[in-house]
Amino acid sequence: MKVSTALCSAALGVGLGTLLLPGAALADTVVSPATTPVGGTVVLTATTCNPKSGDVIFRVTGPNRDENVRSTTAAAGGGLSAELFTAGFTLGTYTVAATCGDGSSAGSATFTVTPIGGAPAGSGGDNRDGRDAGALAAGGTLLGTAAAGAVVLFRRRRPVSTVA
Amino acid sequence: MWWRRTLPAVVALLAVSGLGLITVGLTAEPTRPPRPPADAPTRSRPAPDLAPLARAAPVRVQIPAIGVRAEIVAVGVDAAGVLEVPPLDKPTVAGWYRHGVSPGETGNAVLVGHVDSPAGPAVFFDLGRLRAGQEIQVTRADARVTTFTVDGVHAYPKDHFPSGLVYGPADAAGLRLITCGGPFDDATGNYVDNIVVFATRTA
Repeated sequence: MKVSTALCSAALGVGLGTLLLPGAALADTVVSPATTPVGGTVVLTATTCNPKSGDVIFRVTGPNRDENVRSTTAAAGGGLSAELFTAGFTLGTYTVAATCGDGSSAGSATFTVTPIGGAPAGSGGDNRDGRDAGALAAGGTLLGTAAAGAVVLFRRRRPVSTVA
Repeated sequence: MWWRRTLPAVVALLAVSGLGLITVGLTAEPTRPPRPPADAPTRSRPAPDLAPLARAAPVRVQIPAIGVRAEIVAVGVDAAGVLEVPPLDKPTVAGWYRHGVSPGETGNAVLVGHVDSPAGPAVFFDLGRLRAGQEIQVTRADARVTTFTVDGVHAYPKDHFPSGLVYGPADAAGLRLITCGGPFDDATGNYVDNIVVFATRTA
């Protein structure tokens, strides 16, 4: 699944910031996966926050939500991460903004909560049971007409009986 | 009299024709929707420099290449989180996924429609015939008409539906049309696949 990432500032700005603050590193936030069916789990990671600086706060805002998720868990690839369970989320796109324990911004990213699976958009058509009602009705009508004609023929050809 | 000679032949013809129609009726194969070729190309086009539109619900979709001209209603998801579709007794109506963007906004707007109903082919029956380069027009509630050009048409098993490509974020205004396709599973009463049309706003 594609990973969505948003840098906290433009490349030029980051470059200048790095020059002005030699101790600062490129900060960003990653949400993986970037789309999840409702009820799925996404992992929020502030890749450049230093776990020794304290907890990271992920602020999650979107269609029906404005909540903070706190993380004290060091991520395998660096920074801190937290899992977010999307049960009860209104479908749509959410923004995650992270703040490191030292108060610095760790940027933001988005993720989208989607419907589950595909769409049930078909019934199998007008003769899904293998029967064409129109042809059956027309055939029945023709057979009925043929039967009526046979009766007429039979009566016309029957010899006239005489009364003794 | 002439009719005495011809009536038996007429009766026989009617009987044979009737039996033939009943045989056809009992063994008829359901009309199946067209399926896009497995190797259908996807045209990757640079998004034209168009200013994104403000949000406005779509009210009508037209696809001249396959003769579609349909009203649109808003749809959401059911209690299980599955995308809703318009009711089967309105097979000529398409649905707009209202939790996503509207056509013309930045992002992918999603329209869904039935492929068929008990009455026969429905609004998106011929979606699998669309090819890259053909146009889709969507009329919005603000009276603006947005034009999208097809990038590709693909079939996906429903259990491998590409949610990210359909609902996920995008840098430009896109359109996704969804319907059913592939084999029909009598056991579940559903088609096995979804047909997805990918399009980009071009006017």
